[in-house]
Formats: sequence, C-alpha cells, structure tokens
Amino acid sequence: MIIKSDKSSFQSYLTDSSNYKGNAEKLFMPESIQELKELVIDCNRKKTKLTVSGNGTGLTGGRVPDNGFIISLEKFNEILNLDEKNKTVTVQPAVLLNDLQSFVEQKNLFYPPDPTERNSFIGGNIATNASGARTFKYGPTRDYVNKLKVLNPNGEILELDRNINDRSFKFLKNFNIKKPLTSKNASGFFCEENLHLIDLFIGSEGLLGIIIEAELKLIDLPKEVFSAVAFFDSENDALNFIEESKTLSFNNQSIIGARGLEFFDEHSLIFLSKDFPNIPNSAKAAVWFEQEIIRNEDEIFENWSFLLEKYKYSADSAWFASDPKDYEKFKDFRHSISWKVNEYIAQKNFKKVGTDVAVPDKDFHDFYFWCKKLVSDSNLHFVSYGHFGNSHLHLNMLPKSDAEYKTAKENYYLICKKTVELNGTISAEHGIGKLKREYFELMYSEEEILQMAKIKKHFDENLILNIGNIIDPRFYEMV
Amino acid sequence: MKIAVCVSHVPDTATKINIGSDGKTIDPNGVTYIVNPYDEFAIEEALKTKEKLGGEVVVISVGNDANKETLRKALAMGADSAVLLKDENQRDSFGIAKALAEEIKLQNAELVFFGKQSVDYDNSITGQLTAELLNYNSVSVVVNLNIDGNKITAEREIEGGKEVVETSLPVVITAQKGLNEPRYASLKGIMAAKKKTIEEKEAVAANLFVEVVEMKKPAPKQAGKILGSDSSAVSELVKLLREEAKVI
Repeated sequence: MIIKSDKSSFQSYLTDSSNYKGNAEKLFMPESIQELKELVIDCNRKKTKLTVSGNGTGLTGGRVPDNGFIISLEKFNEILNLDEKNKTVTVQPAVLLNDLQSFVEQKNLFYPPDPTERNSFIGGNIATNASGARTFKYGPTRDYVNKLKVLNPNGEILELDRNINDRSFKFLKNFNIKKPLTSKNASGFFCEENLHLIDLFIGSEGLLGIIIEAELKLIDLPKEVFSAVAFFDSENDALNFIEESKTLSFNNQSIIGARGLEFFDEHSLIFLSKDFPNIPNSAKAAVWFEQEIIRNEDEIFENWSFLLEKYKYSADSAWFASDPKDYEKFKDFRHSISWKVNEYIAQKNFKKVGTDVAVPDKDFHDFYFWCKKLVSDSNLHFVSYGHFGNSHLHLNMLPKSDAEYKTAKENYYLICKKTVELNGTISAEHGIGKLKREYFELMYSEEEILQMAKIKKHFDENLILNIGNIIDPRFYEMV
Repeated sequence: MKIAVCVSHVPDTATKINIGSDGKTIDPNGVTYIVNPYDEFAIEEALKTKEKLGGEVVVISVGNDANKETLRKALAMGADSAVLLKDENQRDSFGIAKALAEEIKLQNAELVFFGKQSVDYDNSITGQLTAELLNYNSVSVVVNLNIDGNKITAEREIEGGKEVVETSLPVVITAQKGLNEPRYASLKGIMAAKKKTIEEKEAVAANLFVEVVEMKKPAPKQAGKILGSDSSAVSELVKLLREEAKVI
C-alpha cells in the first residue's frame, strides 16, 4: 500500500473539477482488496473519517475530504472479465470510462452510458449514477449495473445482484421520498416501491459502502450511426425542433428515433467557433443529434430532413457526418463545450456557477426562457447548453467579480427553487456532493432527509464514510 | 471547366498500425480508414472553385473497393462524379500517377487538385509526377489560390515564409492545411451521393520503380527509471544524463 503523509504530495486529491478545496491528514492507495479491507476496519474502529477518491472529474466536491484520510482506488483499474456470450463486463472501480468503452467496442459490444467526461472512473459513475447524451435513449448508468461488490465500513463485503431478489429489507420498508417528475435524477438516494438494494447503492455517492467491483450490462454495438449538427437562426425553432424530435423518438409509429438530442446556445457557439470554424455566424442555436440506423436509411434521412426544414434549420450550413472521422468530430463538438468554458474561467480566474437542473418535459420550454431572462436581466455573462432531450439544462453563469458572483449565486438559488416548484431535480447528473446540499434541502423535506440519514447510519454506524456528501452532517445528530 | 480531385483512402492517423504477415504492407484488420486529411482541402477547393466559376468536379482514386468510402464522402460533400481506378496490388507513387494521368486526360480536366501528401506513405510526389506525365504546370503546398481566367496565382508555404507564384492552366495544385476549411456534407449531399454511381475501371498498367522490401515498426520506447525522490538522487541523475543518455 502506498501511503502519503506529506500534504504537498497529495494536494491534487484535495480538490476536483469544481475547484472546491478540502483537507486531509493522509492518503492511502491500497494495492489489494485485503489491504483496503484492513484499512477500513481499522479506521472504523478508530472512527477515522474516510473519503474515497475517484479520478477527480466530479463537479460537486464528492471526492473532496473535509478531514480524515483519503482512500484512492486508482490501483484497482483492471477490466477483469468480458463475457461476450452474455454481454457483460466485470470491472474494478478505477477503470476509465473511455478505456471501458474502447475495449468493448473492439469486441463489437457497446456500453451505452456516456458521461461527457470520459476520463472518469467507472466506480465514480456508479456512485453518482452518471449519465450523458445517450441517456436520452438508453437511460443512466443505473440501467447497466447488473452486480456490485461493496465493502462496508465494518469490513463485510456485500455482493449485490440485480437478478437475485434483495427487496425485502426491513429497514427499507418505510423508506419513501418523493420522486421528481423528470427522466433523469442524481439527487439523493434512489427510491421506488420494492427497492432493490443494488439501486439504493447506485447513486448514493459513497455513503453506504465502497464499490470494489461491478458487472456491467452491454449491448450489441450499433454499426451505423447518423450524426448531425444543425444550426438555427432562432432559439425557439431549435427548442421546438428538439421537442418534436423527442415526441417522435418515443412514438413507435415514427421512424425517427434519436439516441441523443443536445442544445447549444449562441454563447456556446462563440466558445466553440475557434476550434470549429464552420459554425455559421448567424446561428443563434445549434442542435446535435444522433440516430442508430439498422434499416430504412433513406426513409430516416427524409424524415429528419422534413423535420429540420419544418423548423427552418440553416440547410446550407448544417453538418452531417459522412465518415467515422466526422462522427468523432461532432462528438468532440459536443464534449468540448464544458471544458472550453472551464478553460476560460480558469484563465480569467473566475468562478463558474452552473446549473444541473432538469424539469418535467411539459414545462421545459417556458422554464428555459424564464432562466435565461433571469440571468440576462441581472447582466451576467452566461453560456447555456445541455441535454435538452431530457429537459436538462446546464446554464453556466460566468461572474467577473465578487459582486457578480453573489448575484449568480442568488440566481442559482432562484433557478433551483423554480425547479423544485415544477417537481424537477436540482441535480440531474452531477450529484449533490458537498456543494449542492443547500439546494438539496429545497428538494426534500427534513423528514425525507432524515430517512436517508437513517439508512446511512444502518450501513455506517460510526459515520466514517464520505461524510458530507448529499446529507449535511447535522442531520446525523437528529437520528 | 472540368475540375479533377485525386484522393486517397488512408488509415486514420489515430489508429494503431500493425504490419501484415508479408512484412511489407499494413495489416488492414482493425484499422479505420479515412479520406486523406490533405485531400479534404483539395476537395473543398475544387468545390469552391466550381461554385465560383462553374464547371464540374470529378473525384478519382486508385485502389480497391474500400476506396469507394472515400469517393462516397467526396460525393456527399458535393462532387459531381467519381471514378475508381481499380488495382488490388500496392503501387508505387509513379504507378498511381500514371493511372491518374490517363484518367485526367480522358476526363479532359484542366484544373487538378491533390492533397500535398498522403498520410499513409508520405511520399509527397504523386501530384507533381502526375503533372509531369500530363505536361501540366504544378504548384505544391498551396495555402491560397486565385484563378482569374487562365491565370493562376498561388501562395505556397516555403521554409520560413511564403512564396507567391503565378502560372496558367492547365495546372496541378497540391493543397496544404490553411487553404480552406473543408465543409461537412449536407443532408441533401448525403442523399444525392447514395444515388450516384461510382464508375469503376481497371487502372492502366504501369512499370513500378519502387519496391517495398521491408516494413518495420519503430523500436519500442524503453521504460523510464526512477532514481529517487529527493535531492540525494541528483548526482546519479546528472551522471546518467551525461554517460547513458548523453544529452548533457
């Protein structure tokens, strides 16, 4: 086991991509499950707080410790087994999403979840129930986790298997919190009737145990993918285009079946224009979309063409992939906006205030323009984009001063409040971590958070694991 | 005016290359092939020229059926027609130039675009050889092009600067990055490309002058060494940099 006690040697583990900073006494890098187990048992006995570290790509401070020890799982980075017949892959938690995807694709298999940050650890993806563009068609990480091996604070290893009925736990009998009316959610513990234990662990941000192994579900690799970026002279047209594409995609009678529908506003296009000079100057919005093609290619093209024309896309400047390189380029277009924005704020030393909210589909259109007006009226520079197929908005305010930062935070609060009023979720994919607890408390009542705190205590009675994520520690004193 | 663009179908620069069992060719298994990136500038310039001056764009490629993918892409971008000059065997640059020159003659194309080099074998001579065989003028590594009647003004990159040259049609231009920003296909282009047929004919025979004797991968990088983590390792580091790596 590698142990680092000199803080300067593990400085990078004291933060994540949100730039939130924490503190810890030591960093442990176990090299075997046995070492990890002994460490956890020892810490549990001494009641030393442990924060598990993924690859630091999170945006909510989930891996950032407030104190105690850090456990980095980075040595557990092996793909253990690929079962081509049953289409499953067994991985250790520190396998990179990107590596997993490339590995299975070489075997003509496909792991559908595609969080934008491809250098994330799979373990982190599971802990936050991460999602991405393809969630529109395929759902979030949760839907692809068959089995989990989880190490408890008392050293016990739980083997959770979706195919084995683990649904009758007494302590879960009364667990009942409201569910947002959205197609995506990453805020707090998952709750449904007859809840399977594996689903409770997925998305619990490390509060209930340490993921040490996972069996993931794969599907056949779709060979032909139609991929495009369409530009519009009006945001309204782009939004209406997305709305109708969405409706058609879920209509079995329609040949249109997008697997992702993503929106970019004009400010996003300005950020991207240096790397993508083909973006037309007149564009006020762009939509990236993909559809897998199995048959009826011509008919699919014609249907998209009709729909695009209906919403007055710029036919002369739209991009359609005509080879694998174009396809990758469009994917980069979609992926690069978030890091372009991050690069900009890092250069200028600004702090970004970015939403991760989703609302019910029927409310999205009005909600988007409401948010935009709120931010424009307060004279803040902003960039908005997101997984609009899932009614999920990343509106990034880019304050230039402390006063503007304060305004941005106020706007952020108002946007979260509005989201909750609409039965939406304040975090659709990034999770709550330590940074969004305040807003999490807008979403759930004290009684509901106490239910979650109780479950946490059931698995971690000494409260050592990832304390500070999701639940404000003051709630633990109340149960 | 008839405009010809000569294109090659090459392994994606991001792909991992393995050498085939004969030790002389690339093993195509698991390799993604793409349009030679420099040829995309050539296609774009041909399309821009056609949009400005009128005419017709024909794309030509030498190789096997796999090259159709590249031709199809050029059609989707807006080329009018495509010709595949078939040869299953690997040709040297002269053999390719010979086949292309014959076809360009048949097509009666006065303006011919190439990429400045093909990123598979990087010989950077096919364009110039073709010009010579056709007895056309040629300007290579072009970053800016202006056509005014018969007169061609081309800016080309040279070591440490740029050079502006004037010549006249008929001409072969080889395109360098910076000449333009290649367009993506339009939906209409993709749909139209599917309906166009690619004309296929045998590439004319040519004497080959260059034979690949052997292909080798570069020697694998040696593993790094960690000498220590504090100042005590400095003297050893300096010694090794001097005696082993011989860089100081």
